[in-house]
Amino acid sequence: MESLPVTEPVLLILLSLAEQPRHGYAILQDVQEMSGGRVTLSTGTLYGALRRLLDDGWIERFDQEDNSRGRQAYRLTPGGRRNLQQEVSRLKQLTRVASLRVARKET
Amino acid sequence: MFSLYRSLLYLYPPAHRYEYGEEMMTVFREIQSETAKQGTLARGLFWVREVQGLLTGAVREHLRTIIGSRYPSPIFSRRLSMRSEFRFPKATVTLMTIILAAVVMAIEKATAIQNSVPPSSQHVGPIQPAHFTFLPTLLLILSFGCISGLLGWAILFALHRSGAQRLADFDPSREPVG
Repeated sequence: MESLPVTEPVLLILLSLAEQPRHGYAILQDVQEMSGGRVTLSTGTLYGALRRLLDDGWIERFDQEDNSRGRQAYRLTPGGRRNLQQEVSRLKQLTRVASLRVARKET
Repeated sequence: MFSLYRSLLYLYPPAHRYEYGEEMMTVFREIQSETAKQGTLARGLFWVREVQGLLTGAVREHLRTIIGSRYPSPIFSRRLSMRSEFRFPKATVTLMTIILAAVVMAIEKATAIQNSVPPSSQHVGPIQPAHFTFLPTLLLILSFGCISGLLGWAILFALHRSGAQRLADFDPSREPVG
């Protein structure tokens, strides 16, 4: 399992699944809400990302009550959560440095 | 409209369609019913987004099927990746350029010789010096080299034909005994 900087849509998908297991449509809505309407994923993009995250072991299928084939839920694996935490730490460090640099330039 | 979406799903590799096709259609139906309540612009944007997502997704999945795990995963940000299994020797490029330059110069010289012989006369006059158009020739050589290199790289990349790649994929434990 690789841990590298992920793209913004994938980060948003992971963040959506970090809270609770979700199916495709719920992920799309949550991503749109989290990004303030800036990121709207298509079904092609979403399922491409989900397939790769499944292949890489970041997420797994999750059986829930409404488990018809069209409403499959997904959740983060422990490894996926670890990778997400690493990614969040990386972003925190980056934004901290960026804030310092921007503030220094302004003064 | 839904039938168009379902038709576009056939652009995906069968395995992907079988595994995710139904889920994608369900999600699409849900978004479609939601956008139906919105304006024409929102519906238009939804369609453009979906068609674009399906087309790029299908290309990506096919590339992944052809190239396999070496296809860089789009979940990660773009970054330079060093592929140790495929190295094109730089000396070959230099050598090929020199050979090509020599061939071009020989052709120029032959043309100069041909021009020095009047068509009706049997007498061969003094050979005129060849006028090399250096810059266009150099550009021609460079473009030829670049295009050939790109084509070669693409073919090798697609077909997994580099010897180093085959060696890297070689697994002695899977070889039949005897």
